[in-house]
This record gives sequence, C-alpha cells and structure tokens, in this order.
Amino acid sequence: MDAILHFAPYTGWVYPNETIVEWSVLIAVYPYLTGLVAGAFTVSSLYQVFGFERLRPVAHLALLTSLSFMIFVPTPLLLHLGHPERAFNSTITPHLTSAMAMFGFFASFYVCLLILEGWFAYRPYIVHQAQQRSDLLGKIYKLLTLGSYDVSEHAMRIDRKWIFALAVIGIPAAHGLHGYVGFMYGSVKAREWWSSDLMAVIFLFSAIISGVSLLAVLYVASCKLRNLAVDLACLKGLAYTIWGFIMVALVLEGLEFANMVYKGHDGIDMIMHYVTGPLLVPYFVLQFAVGAITPFLWLSYMIWRGTTGRALVIGVTVSACLVLFSVFMMRWNVVIGGQEISKTGKGLLSYHLYFWGKEGALMAILVTLAPLALLFGLTKFLPPWAETTDAHG
Amino acid sequence: MPKHIVRLVLIIAAALVVAAIAPRILKVDSFYRFGHYRANAVPEIAAREPVYQTPRYCYGCHTERRAQWSAGSHKTVICEVCHGPAQGHPQDVKMTIPADAVKLCTQCHEAMPGRPKTQPQIQVAEHSGGQQCTVCHNPHSPKITVATAKVSGNAATGKQRAAACSSCHGDAGISPNDTWPNLAGQSASYLVRILTAYKTGDQTDPIMTPLAQGLSAADIQNLAAYFAGESCKSETAGKPVGDAAAGAAVAKNCTACHGEGGRGGNPAWPKLVAQKPGYLMNVLKAFRAGLRKDPMMAGVSRGLSDTDIANLAAYYAAQSCQNTK
Amino acid sequence: MTEESKPTLNARRAFLAKLGGAATCAGAAMGAATLGILPNATAKSEPGADGASFPNENYDWSKHEWAFGVDATKCIGCLRCVEACKRENDVPQNAHQFRTWVERYVHLEGDDEVHIDSQQDPVNIEASGSEKTFRFANRYKDAKVYKAFFVPKLCNHCTHPSCVQVCPTGATFRTKDGVVLVDETYCIGCRYCVQACPYGARFFNEEKHVADKCTWCYHRITKGLQPACVEVCPVGARMFGDREDKQSPISLFIRNNRVQVLKAEMGNAPNVYYVGIDKEVN
Repeated sequence: MDAILHFAPYTGWVYPNETIVEWSVLIAVYPYLTGLVAGAFTVSSLYQVFGFERLRPVAHLALLTSLSFMIFVPTPLLLHLGHPERAFNSTITPHLTSAMAMFGFFASFYVCLLILEGWFAYRPYIVHQAQQRSDLLGKIYKLLTLGSYDVSEHAMRIDRKWIFALAVIGIPAAHGLHGYVGFMYGSVKAREWWSSDLMAVIFLFSAIISGVSLLAVLYVASCKLRNLAVDLACLKGLAYTIWGFIMVALVLEGLEFANMVYKGHDGIDMIMHYVTGPLLVPYFVLQFAVGAITPFLWLSYMIWRGTTGRALVIGVTVSACLVLFSVFMMRWNVVIGGQEISKTGKGLLSYHLYFWGKEGALMAILVTLAPLALLFGLTKFLPPWAETTDAHG
Repeated sequence: MPKHIVRLVLIIAAALVVAAIAPRILKVDSFYRFGHYRANAVPEIAAREPVYQTPRYCYGCHTERRAQWSAGSHKTVICEVCHGPAQGHPQDVKMTIPADAVKLCTQCHEAMPGRPKTQPQIQVAEHSGGQQCTVCHNPHSPKITVATAKVSGNAATGKQRAAACSSCHGDAGISPNDTWPNLAGQSASYLVRILTAYKTGDQTDPIMTPLAQGLSAADIQNLAAYFAGESCKSETAGKPVGDAAAGAAVAKNCTACHGEGGRGGNPAWPKLVAQKPGYLMNVLKAFRAGLRKDPMMAGVSRGLSDTDIANLAAYYAAQSCQNTK
Repeated sequence: MTEESKPTLNARRAFLAKLGGAATCAGAAMGAATLGILPNATAKSEPGADGASFPNENYDWSKHEWAFGVDATKCIGCLRCVEACKRENDVPQNAHQFRTWVERYVHLEGDDEVHIDSQQDPVNIEASGSEKTFRFANRYKDAKVYKAFFVPKLCNHCTHPSCVQVCPTGATFRTKDGVVLVDETYCIGCRYCVQACPYGARFFNEEKHVADKCTWCYHRITKGLQPACVEVCPVGARMFGDREDKQSPISLFIRNNRVQVLKAEMGNAPNVYYVGIDKEVN
C-alpha cells in the first residue's frame, strides 16, 4: 500500500474521515463479476431447467463462462482486504448479522455447484478423452473420471437427474451469491444513495442482462474464431432474454430513483445536485441512454422487424456490448457514486481512479479479463461446442 | 448405483464433515466466550499504557509550579496540554518548554467567532505588538490581577494635605522639573496602590519611602482623590529626549495596560500621557535593573534599549491630554 | 419387474455397505466434535472464567456503564482534544483520519447557508502549518458573523451499532461496559463498518491495515483515568463517566440538561449526549 494516502478533494461539508474513499474500483468490479456468473448461469438454466432448446449451442459455454468468472470472483476482494491472509475469519466465525459474512458460504457453495454441474455435463467427454489419451492431459482426464467409465444409458439418466437438480438449486444459489451484494448496499442506512429495499433486486436483474450479453458476445466471437455460422435461433433467444430483462431492470432502477426523489429524505438536495452534476454523464448518459435505452430500442426494432442474418448478429453483438458497459457503469455509479455523496448530506467528494496500484484501473481491467483467458483455456480442455462434444444434456 | 455417483457422494460427505468441523478447530482462542468476538481482545486493549499522565503525575516533583498553577486561572489546563504528554518523563523524555508562546497561546486565546464570550480572547495583531505572551503573562497563572484599590477619599481634605507634596510635584500636581512625575489627572486607584506600596515597603524609593510612612491610610485616600481630580497638562517645549515617532512604534506594546497614548486603561495602572520624560526614562531604567519592583514591568522593560527608553519617554511626553480617561 | 441379476444385487449391497461406512465415519466425527474432545475454549485459569473479574482483576466490566457528554456551548475550538487523542492512541499523523474531531458552524449575516469546516479543510491545514498539528484558521474574523459555534465529535459507541452489525468476522464488538472496540488482530480490513457508520466515526488505519476508531480510551478508563480528550479539554466541554453511578458528572449532565444525540432517527441509540448543538448539526 502506498505510504502517502490519497485524499479525495471535496466540496461543501464532509466528515473528515470520509476524505478517503475506501471502496475502490475493485469493489465495483466484484459485483460485476458475480453478476456475470449469475447471468451466465441463467442462460445455462434456461436450457437445463426451462427447456429452451434453442439455447443448446451456448449451454455448455455458459457453464464454463460461469465457472471461469467464479474462479476469479474472490480476486478483487483479496486485493482490497487489509489482511487477505485473515480472509477466512469470516467463514470460521461468520457474524450472521452481516450480509458480507454470507460471501464465504455462497461463494464456496456456488463454486462447488458449478464444478459439479460442469463435471456431470462433461462426463461423457471426459470419459472418452481418458480412454483415448495417454499423455499428461490424459492423466488429468483419468483423474476426473473418478475411476468410473460408465456411460451406459442408466448412468446417463442418473447424470441428467443430477444436472437438473443442480441447475434448479443453482438458480437460488446464484441469486444468493449476487443478491447478497445488492442487499449489502441496500441495507446501509447511512447512505441515502444506497439505502433502498429494491437494491438487491436491481443488482440481480442487471446481473442477468450482463451475463446473457456476455454469452451473446462470447458466442458470436467463438463462432468467428472457429469460422462457423452463428446459430441465429440461439442468438435470437439470447436477444429476447436480454430485451425482456432490460425492461425489468429499467423499471426497477427507475422506481428506485423515483422513490428516493419522491420521499425526499434529508440529503436529497445534495443527491439531486450530484446526479445532475458530476454524475450526469456516468448515470443518465452512459448507464441509461447509451447503455440501456439504446440497446433496448435497437433490440425492439430488430424484434419488431424480424431482423435476421448478419444485421441481427451485428445488432445483438453491439447491443450486448452496450449492455455490458451499462451494467459496469451501474456498479460504478452505485459503489463509487455512493461514496462521493457525503453522509452529511451537505457535501460531495470526488474519487480519483489511479491507473497503477493494487486497486487501480489496470488491476481492475486485468481482473475482469483474466476470467476470459481462463475460459479460453477451459474451452480447449472441455470444449463446449455442440458440434464437437458428444451430445449430452 | 454407478461407481462415480457413489464416489462423488463420499467426496461430498467428507467435504461436509470437514466444513462442519473446521470452524471449531480453526476458531481462535476465547472467541464466543462473551459474544461474537475474541474475548481476549478486551484485556489486550485495556493493557495499553496511557500516554498522558495527568497533573497528579507532575505534583511529586514540581511543587512550586503546582502551587502557582492550581491557584491560577489555568488550573483547568493540564500541564501536558502545553508541555506534551509526560509518559517516560523524567527517565527517557525531557519535557518541552514551548518556544513560540504566541503560536501556542493563541490557539485558545485568539479572538475567533464561535468562541464563547466566557473565554478570554484577544485580537492578536493589536494585543502585544508581536511580543511573546510570556513577557507579561505567567503561563502557570496568567491572569494579570493587580488589585484595583478602592478609592474613597475626599479631594478637598486631600488638597490640604497635598501642600507638603508641592515642592517636588508642583502646585496642582504639575511637576516643576523633569525628575519628579506629574500627578495631576493620574488614576486614583493607582495612586492609592503605589502610596500604600511605598508605605508598606512593597515598593522602595529613598525619598518616597519615609514620606509615605508618615501618611495614614485616610491621607493616602484623600491625596489620591485630590490629585486624580486635578487636570492633566500637556508638556510644553523642551528639547525632545528622543524620537517620538520611533517611540510610538514601541509604545504599541504598552497600550494593552496603559491605554492608547498612555491615556489610561485599567485604573490599576498609571497613565503616562504628558508625563515628564526624564522621570519616565529613570523609571523604565529602574524597572529594567530591578531596582523598581514589578514583575510585569521587569519583563516588559528587559528588552528595551536605552534608545527605546528615550524614544518612549519622548513619545509619552509629547502626547496631548485630550481624551484622557 | 424382472428379478434383479446377481451383479446388480451385489453392486447394490456394496453401495449400501459403503454408504453405511461413510455415515458411521461422519457420525463419529460429529460426535467427537460435539463431545468436545477437540480443543475447547475456556480454560479455568483465564480471567472471566466462572464469573471472575474481566478484563482484569482491577477492573470489572460488568460494574460499569460508560457514557460521554459534550457541552458544545463551552467548546472553544482549540483542538487540544484532537491533538491529544492522536498522541494517546497512535492515530495516523494526517489531517484526514481522526478518532475525534471538532466542527465549526458559522452563519454569516444575510447568508442562508451555514458554513461548516473541520480539520481536513485545506485552509485550516494551512493555518496550522502541517497535517500533524491542528488549528482553525480565523477565516471569519473580518466577516459579519451572525452565529457561530464549535461541536466536538467522536464515536458514539451506540447501543445498536451499525458497524458491529455489519462486521463479517466479529472483529468489532460492544463490550459489557458499553464500549465498541476493534480487535486489530482479527479485523480483515474489508471496511464495511466504515461504510455503515452513519456518523463517519470510523476510518481505515493504513499502517495496521485494519479498521480503527475512538475507543473512549479504553486503556485509560479501565484504570480509573479519563479519556485523553476529556483530560486535556481546558474548558470542560467534554465529560465522561459511569451511568451506574447516579452522582457521576455524566449522570448529572444527562439528568439536568435537555440532552440530545446525533441522528436519532437512525435507531443506533448513541451514547454521546450533546447539549448546545443546533439544527444543522448531524
């Protein structure tokens, strides 16, 4: 940690201890990652549980994506903690009144669930590879078989039951994993910008659109890399999902803001000043106009016109990218924005994003991209492509 | 049941058992004893050594200071406020005597909006001309209390008695020469105090001492009343003994007690307006040398050079009697 | 249903046997844990065992209920309390992290807006000369001041502290004598408590990498001393004492004055009682 403390400049009146903004960009990245995990898992569940057959081409990719991001979820937290070596204190002696104490349980449970579901989904492939290969990778595959090469119809049936059960359990688990973060913010009565009953739900719905958008982008990218045609039905399915959930997310966020303004608690003047001032661009322009309304309108248009082919691919990809951007801005506007509004209700601070450093922009970018690198590796180890894998639920 | 399911279930069961037992094994000592925290943290925190020792700690050695301080107006200000914490003193730490009194004292005593009126406050720029506070104020008993003597004399009776004083102090209290001071218009309370001081021996002067010893308390009161009622007269001509303009600059430091132009402030202290310059010079030199006793004047005059004294005398001598209190 | 073939039957039996074995192991482990064969918490010789005086033999926390009082009508804004606290408690030497601080409220004639400043204000830092000493700049001395006063602030040691509620590990807690403390060997430095405190009383200590805040000088009060800030205040604007003692200065202060607390609507039930604050103090 730097010897020199970085004090935030401020206007108006703020408590002296507030001049150091404690939760950095990494704390905005963390819910972004768990959101992607939850959202990607939603795609997988739409196929596994709700039977959206059209999403089959991305089902396994969704699982791997969810897992890749899940592995990196603790990273921003560990980088932020004052004593990362004591991180397990919250799991050994979890303080049950604290929403944050839930992290250890949700995270461990969820990573196990993902590994388990992925294992079941890939079992035939693993067994096949274990039987074919004799190199180092072959040994790893052999280990993963747990010594069983049973891919009989009976075993497959049992496997499918497990996958279904895990997918069903995974839905509330994912909601818990990501929802608790939203609850954490929503329950902080000290900050008017955070304190809201709707916060957990807003986080969840924006998580879903981010995860589905991520899948859309990854799917299109993977098709391009493999020189294959994009399954338009699948892409359309993803587009419908994004479109539907954007509506809900927008309604929820709109409601939350409207409630805050309407109730007008002490400090609302400063919030309005902030939202129409320093946060005008990040909030109304980037998060909403560019990142949510635009893709919503574009998707609406494509759905209305029945767009297909290349135009659909481009439209959905760009919309998905905008949504990904918008959801990150939402995390930023909540986490950083909340800290820029003083608890006094009479002042504003300004967070400086440093490029270097343990909690700087570079680290944030690396932490966000690292799961993609892992995913790339995983797709080589456990190919998710419907065309190449043995057909298995 | 397929083998892999069995093995998987075993692995999961083992993991659950570990997860259930691990917190109990890994939990630190004393956690949960009184609540959801490590109980031993409390005595650890309580065991920290205090840094500030409180005045009691100083009493053992610093008895004289203690006596002054506990009887004075700073008795609510503990020693360590100005001298820093006493932990480790005297073995390892030498206590500091603050160098810049102005910086230190004005932290509490600078006149500032928001400070309650009960707090003694000064306009720093106008108070002492930049002099250190300790020149006039004893930091351990800083309130300057010169008892303002009661004035209850009869001026007419005093006038009769004053006939004996005129050979030195002139008729109507205007001195005929440069050596002895004008008394006309002087603060009655001051006159009572100084005559009483001469009488009791608190102040000594070869001429005034025997004279004052011959006065009764009533005489002193009457004389004071008489001279106070007489009119101050502006000093005329004579070659100035020094540079009055330069003296004005130095005199800024004197206004706090003697008033603007020496026209009077607190009645306990003498007016200097239109006073004989020769007298003023002698008196200041006497204060400086410690021959004339006054702790405050001793401090004030310590830094004055002969030129300063001459300039001051010239300045006050040249002041007009108008607007005198 | 056809009769089961022998291999399947054997497999079933083998499975059941394995399951039984696993269950027994699990059961035994659970039983061991419950019986406390594994290391237990309280040893007989430790303080606090069997109702003995805790945290030490000279001070019993169950006999005290501490509270703090601030008479803001007396505060002169000299900031000795801020300096003393920093020295007493090793608080980081800067003008942005405090266990206690003083705020100045100034109303100027003809101006609706109240001007509030404290030790982190650059003008005040300039006036003091460094970030290690503290002073209010006399910035309003030539202005027409309608109303002005000083308000000392510190941790309120709430009865229902938000910070304790949100701590994921149990590193911050409330003692039996009513003091909220931080266990610096257990805190993981997540800073959730810093976010949750409505009063801005907590900060992150960059030297120790843990959360930090006013402790009411626990190490002093358990020795019969006053907190450092109370000790050095030259005008008696701060007071501290035991509510168990009905004649203590703090009990009388609360009894004889119309006292108020900060942000009462938060529901934290703070234990720092104020006299003489104004409507915009929060």
